[in-house]
Amino acid sequence: MDSSTGGIRGGRWLAFLLPGLPQALAGRVAAGGFALVVWISMCALVAWRLDRVLGSWMGPWDHRVALLSLLVSLGGVWGWSVRDALRTEPARRGWWNLAGRRFRENRVAVAGVMGIGAIYLVALLTPFLAPYEPAVQGDLLQNRLVGPSTQHLLGTDHYARDVLTRLLYGARISLAIGFVAISISISIGTFLGAIAGYLGGAVDSLVMRFVDMVIAFPRIVLLITIIALFEPSIFLIVAVLGLTQWPQVARIVRGEVLSLREREFIQAGRALGFSRSRIIGRHVVPNILAPVIVAATLGIGDTIVLEAGLSFLGLGVQPPTPSWGIMVADGRGNLAGAWWISTFPGLAIVFTVLAFNLAGDGLRDALDPRLNR
Amino acid sequence: MSRDLSDPTATRPLGVALLLALAVASCGDPDARAMSGMPEFCQNVLPSVEAHLAALPTPGGERYGGTAVVGGIGEIPDGMNSLVSADHGANQHQIFMNLMTLLRANGDLELEPYLARDWELNEDLTEVTFHLRDDVVWHDGEPTTAHDVEFTYLRATDPNTGFPNAAFWDHYVGGADGVEVLDEHTIRFRLTPHAELLDPWRSTAILPRHLLGDVPPDELRQHPFGTRCPVGNGPFVFQEHRQDESWSFVRNPGFPEELGGPPYLDRYVYRVIPEQTTLLTELLTETVDVYVAPLPDQTPQIEASEALELRAFPFRNYIFVGWNSRRPQLADPRVRRALTMGTDRAEIVEALFRGYGQVANAGVPPFHWAHHEGIADALPHDPDGAAALLEEAGWVDRNGDGVREDAEGNRLEVSIRFNSDRTRQEIAEIMQAQLSEIGVAVQPEVVEWATLVEQITSADARTFDGVVMGWVTEFKVDDHDLFHSTKSEQPYGWAGIGNDRLDVLLDTLQLVVDRSEALPLWHEYQELLVELQPYTYVAFPRRLAGVNRRLQGVEMDVRGEWVSVADWWIPADRR
Amino acid sequence: MTHLLRRLAGVIPLVLGIATIVFFVLSVAPGDPAALYAAPGVSPEALDQIRRNMGLDRPVHERYVLWMGDMLKGDFGVSFARGQPVRDVIFQILPNTLLLSFCAMVLAFTAGVLIGVLQAIRQNSALDGVLSVLSLFFYSMPSFWLAIMLILAFSLYARNVWGWPISFPASGMTSVDHAFMSPGAQLRDRLMHLVLPSASLALVLAGGIARYMRGSMLEVVRQDYIRTARAKGLPERTVILKHGLRNALVPVITLLGLYLPFLFSGAVFIETVFAWPGMGKLMVDAYFQRDYPVVMAGALIFAVIVILGNLIADLLYALVDPRIRYG
Repeated sequence: MDSSTGGIRGGRWLAFLLPGLPQALAGRVAAGGFALVVWISMCALVAWRLDRVLGSWMGPWDHRVALLSLLVSLGGVWGWSVRDALRTEPARRGWWNLAGRRFRENRVAVAGVMGIGAIYLVALLTPFLAPYEPAVQGDLLQNRLVGPSTQHLLGTDHYARDVLTRLLYGARISLAIGFVAISISISIGTFLGAIAGYLGGAVDSLVMRFVDMVIAFPRIVLLITIIALFEPSIFLIVAVLGLTQWPQVARIVRGEVLSLREREFIQAGRALGFSRSRIIGRHVVPNILAPVIVAATLGIGDTIVLEAGLSFLGLGVQPPTPSWGIMVADGRGNLAGAWWISTFPGLAIVFTVLAFNLAGDGLRDALDPRLNR
Repeated sequence: MSRDLSDPTATRPLGVALLLALAVASCGDPDARAMSGMPEFCQNVLPSVEAHLAALPTPGGERYGGTAVVGGIGEIPDGMNSLVSADHGANQHQIFMNLMTLLRANGDLELEPYLARDWELNEDLTEVTFHLRDDVVWHDGEPTTAHDVEFTYLRATDPNTGFPNAAFWDHYVGGADGVEVLDEHTIRFRLTPHAELLDPWRSTAILPRHLLGDVPPDELRQHPFGTRCPVGNGPFVFQEHRQDESWSFVRNPGFPEELGGPPYLDRYVYRVIPEQTTLLTELLTETVDVYVAPLPDQTPQIEASEALELRAFPFRNYIFVGWNSRRPQLADPRVRRALTMGTDRAEIVEALFRGYGQVANAGVPPFHWAHHEGIADALPHDPDGAAALLEEAGWVDRNGDGVREDAEGNRLEVSIRFNSDRTRQEIAEIMQAQLSEIGVAVQPEVVEWATLVEQITSADARTFDGVVMGWVTEFKVDDHDLFHSTKSEQPYGWAGIGNDRLDVLLDTLQLVVDRSEALPLWHEYQELLVELQPYTYVAFPRRLAGVNRRLQGVEMDVRGEWVSVADWWIPADRR
Repeated sequence: MTHLLRRLAGVIPLVLGIATIVFFVLSVAPGDPAALYAAPGVSPEALDQIRRNMGLDRPVHERYVLWMGDMLKGDFGVSFARGQPVRDVIFQILPNTLLLSFCAMVLAFTAGVLIGVLQAIRQNSALDGVLSVLSLFFYSMPSFWLAIMLILAFSLYARNVWGWPISFPASGMTSVDHAFMSPGAQLRDRLMHLVLPSASLALVLAGGIARYMRGSMLEVVRQDYIRTARAKGLPERTVILKHGLRNALVPVITLLGLYLPFLFSGAVFIETVFAWPGMGKLMVDAYFQRDYPVVMAGALIFAVIVILGNLIADLLYALVDPRIRYG
């Protein structure tokens, strides 16, 4: 493969019309194919829901976000493809680029990333995609618990609401819950773990005893108390999930920092008299980024599953907000008769967690040079 | 690294298998496990029960034999200790199976003799005298006497016991002054005349004095009698209770013939299965004979099975949305009536309860003799009428956002709280959808159960607007605690409506003994409830049960699922 | 050794600290244990009396001191909702959890290790990919949903629809006529009831174990002694099983310590669905009923198990990996 031009020999001008096609033809089936699929489906979406797309700028904020995402993804795909096809200078080689190459070689991981991309796109574009409004109930007498049909592709639930619509709207709730919760837990965990590992001594044992305590604290007690004390809202769920998941991250980070501390470049920095904050900020944190990113991708999946568990206990988000967890938990009483209500959101959870985990595993392999000798 | 001569992988599976066998075997013998952990009280009591039973003959006949299994989602809280429990399922196991009441109700809800052979009231209804049967013995062989009844009465009316249903005895003279044992089998009680004055003797089971007489009243709740080794005198003898798992009872061969004799079943098992899909599976695979209270949405599967029969019978409960009239937007009864009229309750009954139920308009269920049919159409589903009522009360959509405002611009927003019970959640969500069409912004809010109870029952923290709840009434309906103006600051005065006529009715209804005299008052009471709408009465659901057809003699009605359990039988070829 | 003693000594204040925090967290939670008995017609006086009988009339700090004192003497008090000594309640429930966890652990480790080794041997093959996707698939399912699916498939449809010769009991620990069976039939009955619950717990765990096992195995096979063994001309089977597997297993065994807490509290969904009375469900139910003595005892047991589990995991790890040294 001729790396200097991305392997594209002919037909690079096709990129202007069908982005991704030249790359796909040149053998980069995954990246090119994904770009092509995104491009074609976006165009199809615009043609199919032209009225909604055109009217979206005047609509509610989520419609505007959807329009923005549509434009950005169209532009992004087009821009990447054209630039990539026309590129002449050789690709740079650095640690990150090497990691990127290693990652691309891992087909399963690439599939994971594409899955994540697809889920986010769907979540953002929901206002254009959804066939119905999420909270609107249909005719309770006629349309309740109707199986998958052409009217309702994934059937209706016990309020005669369209399951597909709620699934689509639920995507952004569940993804947001996972994303925000994991941001909270990563921030706290990284901060405390880095401090403990780097400073060592009394601070270390203090922080680690605290971590031990949080881990050994029955989480369910904390969860129920917080949910009982405050009015349950989606923010509360997110905060609770975030605030109880950080100890694992703290442990990973601390372990990594402990081993980093003894490495040559940190020692050198210390010998040069750099301040501690500078060493932590400039040298330690970037180096522990890899395990943290991995922990984050894996953690998002865990959070989504955990949210489903909370819903099972009746502690989920406020109805009628459609989170996947609530949909699975609500529909489980009907599993024997109306399997579609909780099966589709269940599969959506599985698909999402799968995508995040595959991508996370790939990242770990790519970022850890020891595993790829 | 050197090679290890012994091969650990070879022994490992064997070791695992051994450990597994040990673990399984260690809990393999339930009798040994049950007995070793038993409190001392039970270690003394259980052998004497066994000895008593062993001496009795086994009844013969083609109907005798077999085990019936009943599945429900919850434990039987407080077990057979009738003095500390208030649970519906627990009460039925007490009064129909393990213990006995003085009186029982027949299918027409008339009281019949049970432990009491007969009874008489004096002229001015201030004394009731019971003549007890002399052939009833406790399952350990001790006779049941008037002293047991006296003991139960004294404990029930002793505030130290904390008997949840102490209010049953409100019109009785509590304590030792109210009761007199005339002889071993005759006992007299003193009371002030009131309606349904015999009803407590139908619902409270008698407990054995010779076992519990020495227990201080405030320790009754934690006594092992209730859940570890109850000793009753009813048709079924307690056999085993596995925590959160099952209760087993066996036949009492010595139960008096005159009361129906020994039950047909050899054994009865109640299983706790908390997940309803699992319960349905157990019913469909015929490992459970009776599924207590399946979800209405599960009825099609039960009906589709040839082996099963769906029972739907009237029940004593109703589901409602309770309004807090202290809230400014809900203070006007016209607004509360509009909320009811804007809700299509018939559709809720049809959809959520699949037609197993009827629209409620006041809190007197259809089984009750004073139930008022005349108010059935008082508040029909009528969005236009509801809108008109709201306009009249000053709620108009002034800014065109789809939600009505009052003159000061306050939006007509109502939050409806509920615990995570599916039916209640569904009602709140359906109301949200339907009331938005008449310009009311309903916000459904799920609140964890214990928190919700605190929010609505503590008088100083009552900031809710509406709450979806359900009540189970007794045969005697008494809404005094719900609507009387003096109870407004008490735990159940949620509505907080003060109405003089309502107070008068609530005070007198309980004291009028003659039903023909009381009926017009009851009707007026229900009409007044419609007008005041402290609650949006949503539905009187019918109670459901899935029953395996192999089980014969099953009667279920407003008295409960277990009312005929002593007559259940299984044909010999289906045991 | 001194390190071990020091860690063990650290456990006690940690557990007491957790107990204290749990106690006060519970005391701020809204809700009233006596509300279980509250209904219209129940006089406020009766409720007050119930509260007094439960000891709830005392101020929080007094209750805390009393509880602590009793607890140190080994008395956990009386359950509010069940009216039995908490010790009796736990003694009845704990064996159920132990049995289920033990079986789930055995299944999960057997399956996880097998899959992990297979994946490592065939690294980056199609089989590797399929197995990772499959184990992640089960790992990422909401466990209650998986459990209900298993019940529908293997007890309802297997019997009523597909007409399989075998179907598994959907719930419970034994059949209702267990006590009347022969010893052999009793054992079989127990095992049959264990299949679905332990399988659904194990399916969730096995995915994680397989992933660790794969990584650990890949790390080990690159070590020098494996190369030496190969160079000596030992058959590949021996190399992998004798040398590779045994060394790769150790870090995976440490997972045991980390999974213990999950089995104790995270199994609540499985326990609910399969009507298996275990600690997870006990704790959650107790909290919903505000049955504080049971919650406290459960929390305490949970904390001890987690801390000991972590301790064992750490020690095991240190034993294998000489690079980690505690100073």
